[in-house]
Amino acid sequence: MDTAIRFEGVSKQFVARHAGPRSFQELAVGLPRQQERAQVAFWALREIDFEIAPGETVGFIGPNGSGKSTLLKLIARILAPTCGWIEVNGRIGPLLELGAGFHPDLTGRENVFLNGSLLGLRQVEVHKQFDAIVAFAELERFIDMPVRHYSAGMSLRLGFSIAAHVSPDILLVDEVLAVGDEAFQRKCLERMETFRQAGCTIVFVSHDLRTVERLCARAFWLAEGRIRHTGPAHEVVARYLAAVEEGR
Amino acid sequence: MRNRLHELWQYRDLIRNLVTRDVKVRYRNSLLGIAWSWINPLLMMAVYTVVFTVLTGDQDGTPNYPVFILSALLPWNFCATAIAQTTNCILDGAHMIKKAYFPREILPMTAVASNLINLLLSLPVFFLLAVAMGNPISAWVLLLPIVILIQTAFVLGLGMLTATLNVFYRDTQIIMNVLLLAWFFLTPVFYSINHVPETYTVWGMDLAVRRYLQWVNPMASIIAAYRDLLYYGAPTGWDFLLRTAVTSFAVLMGGYAVFQRYSWRFSEEV
Repeated sequence: MDTAIRFEGVSKQFVARHAGPRSFQELAVGLPRQQERAQVAFWALREIDFEIAPGETVGFIGPNGSGKSTLLKLIARILAPTCGWIEVNGRIGPLLELGAGFHPDLTGRENVFLNGSLLGLRQVEVHKQFDAIVAFAELERFIDMPVRHYSAGMSLRLGFSIAAHVSPDILLVDEVLAVGDEAFQRKCLERMETFRQAGCTIVFVSHDLRTVERLCARAFWLAEGRIRHTGPAHEVVARYLAAVEEGR
Repeated sequence: MRNRLHELWQYRDLIRNLVTRDVKVRYRNSLLGIAWSWINPLLMMAVYTVVFTVLTGDQDGTPNYPVFILSALLPWNFCATAIAQTTNCILDGAHMIKKAYFPREILPMTAVASNLINLLLSLPVFFLLAVAMGNPISAWVLLLPIVILIQTAFVLGLGMLTATLNVFYRDTQIIMNVLLLAWFFLTPVFYSINHVPETYTVWGMDLAVRRYLQWVNPMASIIAAYRDLLYYGAPTGWDFLLRTAVTSFAVLMGGYAVFQRYSWRFSEEV
């Protein structure tokens, strides 16, 4: 097991929502003239090849819509590739859509257990980690309150804290740090640093180029669903910045 | 197949947590709480009893009509609420599907399971009513778990089919409301299957109405079996129940196959 994540010729196509019939009526009306209907297909990723070794910290940068989030969701098995082969070894800690998946009528405590098992954690493991999760989120006083009364920041903190305590082999981080306040952001970065030192593989997607440069050894620059450039993080970031300057 | 089952086993805590959540949330903000699982069927039973004995007098010949209706109403409610909830389960769970990978069949399974628990919670009220009205309870009720198992398989299979359909065509949940109402009338819940004429003549053709009803509608046989065991205290028609069991498990396999075939697209469509 000398590889954590491997993509071989991976492509992902989305068919736009309005292209297919969304109701029986459209289906019935559309049947006789199926050929006329324009297929609005969109390739989010095209023929992506890369390999990430265990313990590596890798950043993905690129403009909006370049396929970064799709790539993370493919690693997390939330999406399935249209073609190509994906190999992932180890437990995934997805820091995606944090705070989503909380049930508003349940208390923070109940949601911790629900969310933990959603991330594939056994009940006993959540029990063991429970105090640490609550302490990290700084929600000791509110943990038995229904989540509907939480602020957006509180939900986010709890979401991050749960995902950060699943002891993942591979941590997927998608831009989540942009939301919390300065102190919490710093705390999250520290937490990621701890993970890295513990030998955890980290895949990091961000527009914050300075953080990418600082955290990641290697970076990928995605543009229109393809890998435009790859190499040492500072080099890729420099090239990306140069291209953005030029484009302006 | 064995891999799938193994994976489900890995996620058993998620299944348990989701079922607990459903049961907890259902009554959390209500004053009477879990007591509603008793009050609700009793109120519905009262409505049907008034309509069919006092107002129309149709069922005056049925002894202990409240017991008669409740013995079918409980399993029917399980069927109707479970299918309605399962149809929506993928859309309701969209936030979870977009957040992490887990076997998607967990969502229909938990929707059915939480309604099954509701059925089990409401069963004692039936026995209380039967005792209070002097309707004898025989040892045949011990066979009830078999009937419940058959019904659960049927409901889960059908639910996985409608859930899949609903992801791609949102009309499904609207149509299901109408279909469930029609289905309710076509199922011997507030009348006995014995009241359905054996044959009915249309334009000179003899139609075996009762046979058709039982063939086309597995719920008719399932409800009849419940009523045999609970209300009549008699053994049910075993050959018939066996056929219903085969149908139910075929529906389960079919529904699961369709669900598996399309579940990888759920996260893109919800």
